[in-house]
Amino acid sequence: MTAPLSVAAVVVITVATAVIGMRGMRVARTQADFLVAARQVPALLNASAISGEYLSAASFLGIAGLAMLEGLGALWYAVGYAAGYLVLLATVAAPLRRFGAYTIPDFAEGRLASPRLRRWATVMVLVICAFYLIPQFNGAGITLQATLGGPYWIGVVVLGVVVTAGIASGGMKGITVVQAFLYWVKVTAIALPAVVLVLAVSHPPLGTVGGPAPATFTHATDVRFPDATRVTVDRAVTVTGTGTVDGRPVRGPLVLRPGGHTVAAGTSLRFPAGTPAPDVSGATRSGSSWASPLLHLGGRPDHPLAATYGILLATVFGAMGLPHILVRFYTNRDGQAARRTTAFVLLLVSTFYLFPAVFAVLGRLEAPALYLSGRTDSVVLALPRLMVGGIGGELLAALVAAGAFAAFLSTSSGLLIAMAGALSHDIMGRGVRAFRASALVLGAAVTAAGLLVASVPINVLVGWAFAVAASSFCPLLLLGIWWPRLTRVGAMWGLALGGGTSSLAVVASLAGLGRSGWPALLLGEPAIWTVPVAFLAMVVGSLLSPRSLPPNLTDLLATMHLPERLRRPRAGMVGQR
Amino acid sequence: MTAPPGADGVAVEGEDGVAPLGPVREVVRAPVRRPADRSGAPGREDVLRQDDYGRELLGSLMRAQLGATLSVLVPAVVLLALYPLLAVLVPDLASTQVAGVPLTLVVLGGGIYPPLVALGFWYVRRAERVERRFGELLDER
Repeated sequence: MTAPLSVAAVVVITVATAVIGMRGMRVARTQADFLVAARQVPALLNASAISGEYLSAASFLGIAGLAMLEGLGALWYAVGYAAGYLVLLATVAAPLRRFGAYTIPDFAEGRLASPRLRRWATVMVLVICAFYLIPQFNGAGITLQATLGGPYWIGVVVLGVVVTAGIASGGMKGITVVQAFLYWVKVTAIALPAVVLVLAVSHPPLGTVGGPAPATFTHATDVRFPDATRVTVDRAVTVTGTGTVDGRPVRGPLVLRPGGHTVAAGTSLRFPAGTPAPDVSGATRSGSSWASPLLHLGGRPDHPLAATYGILLATVFGAMGLPHILVRFYTNRDGQAARRTTAFVLLLVSTFYLFPAVFAVLGRLEAPALYLSGRTDSVVLALPRLMVGGIGGELLAALVAAGAFAAFLSTSSGLLIAMAGALSHDIMGRGVRAFRASALVLGAAVTAAGLLVASVPINVLVGWAFAVAASSFCPLLLLGIWWPRLTRVGAMWGLALGGGTSSLAVVASLAGLGRSGWPALLLGEPAIWTVPVAFLAMVVGSLLSPRSLPPNLTDLLATMHLPERLRRPRAGMVGQR
Repeated sequence: MTAPPGADGVAVEGEDGVAPLGPVREVVRAPVRRPADRSGAPGREDVLRQDDYGRELLGSLMRAQLGATLSVLVPAVVLLALYPLLAVLVPDLASTQVAGVPLTLVVLGGGIYPPLVALGFWYVRRAERVERRFGELLDER
């Protein structure tokens, strides 16, 4: 299913990104320019850039895919991703900008007078960014696979080369404009097709998604099974196809009797119109269960309320702890501008999140074949061609592919800058050359990791990055800004316990530990316990070590909380050098 | 506007960082306790001093800002936490429809965002007002 228009769209967006980035390259001179683009960025442009950097593969593809697969409860991810900015706005935006540190390690060192804490924070930056970056590459692989029909690795390598080369050469002065541009590309690329598709849908009516019926093929549909799949059929259905079902070769018509069947990889089956889609591990469950407002993730359906709160906790508190987003706040003129920018980010991000739900619902109504092929993460890419057809469908598909690639480009470059900045500044020695070398090394490493990652739903991977951020940097920032008694000892306890336990839980989940019940919930959604653990560790550790309070505490608090016009001229810029 | 607990001269170091959940305050008051050798309203220099009085002024600003913060975060938490809880208490919620569209889709697919965004812009106004009043307080003398 090669689609020349989609290929052209991906090429155009990549080249446009490179060109806009290159124009900025000429002004990028010092490391400060690379990192924060000289602090002269107007509010709406800056808000677009932050939103552009924030809306990743998880938002563009993952939310629709996960909500189609697991039910509308998965939309809590989107709500949490947006609400995270309300929390960020109301707690850290202005004080952090006023403090004047470029990065979270800068903040940790400046606020708590501890170079050692700075190195711990650097390690957490690398961990969180890696958890976040790998699913972006995963998404790029899926996208090019879905639009080109080629192998998975092409998308991963293309993204790796473009992003790494762009950052090693351009830096962030260009990227600010690029990120802002990519936000508008993304919002257009998801909103326009969503509107057209809603107008195009005539049958069945929207209301049936909440009805008792399972997902149903509205027209005769060819389903190709890329992997061996276990399906369950409720009533006998006659399919035609080629391949292997239940160990026997199929060529032509076959009656699938009620019960379970094993379909071998590479099999193609044609389902007649009006048949309910066979069940694959509960994915096509009844509409009323699908329309439940609680999160029922595949492996852990037992405690949906706790699961929902777990995801909310991770996303709402994780947003402020994302290293690549915080850097952007220093491109605001002052604390007040930082607040206004953040409010606009909340607006822009919320606007975007109105649309993934549309694709999830239409996907369930119109493309149940994706359940069987296990490709629900590609629903945003697949629907336009499926529902509209003809040149119109091709154009929409091209637009969506461009938007998806914009999502990977923007988030990946932001993450790679944050990682390269942390690695070069704190480990490899400062300066532009170290920054470039770090970008190259990390870009290559993450591209390799992207080639290896299994097809875990994008959103689940990204949710883990948020959980780790919420369990490490979120308490560091909140307590560092609002609680005068935080000490470096307490901060280290919190980073070690919160960041450590959440990271281990994620690794355990990836390794397949905890498949059901409470273990699945506690490992798969660690935020629900690791966030309280991190806060508790920081508070207890601080109370037990009152002597390690920073000596200039009042000065530090004044720098964060006093409006700029009331400050001493020399106040501010703490931790810049 | 009544003085909330803790506003009458608690040094910053003694503050536990959590403001009272009751009626939220928005007026920045001059702390009651002042050095004996001073008179009139506090000035800009006072807040920059590294003494108890300067810390007190700064603490009053931080408490006022924390009040503004909680005045948006408490409603936001209620907004987010309530719907999942309702879904457990009222299982029929999943099959409820509004004009042919599932209620969950109406809420999670769009309805929940306008109040969140409104809270955000409202917070910006409140925080700026707190800072303006604090500045006026210092500039008065």
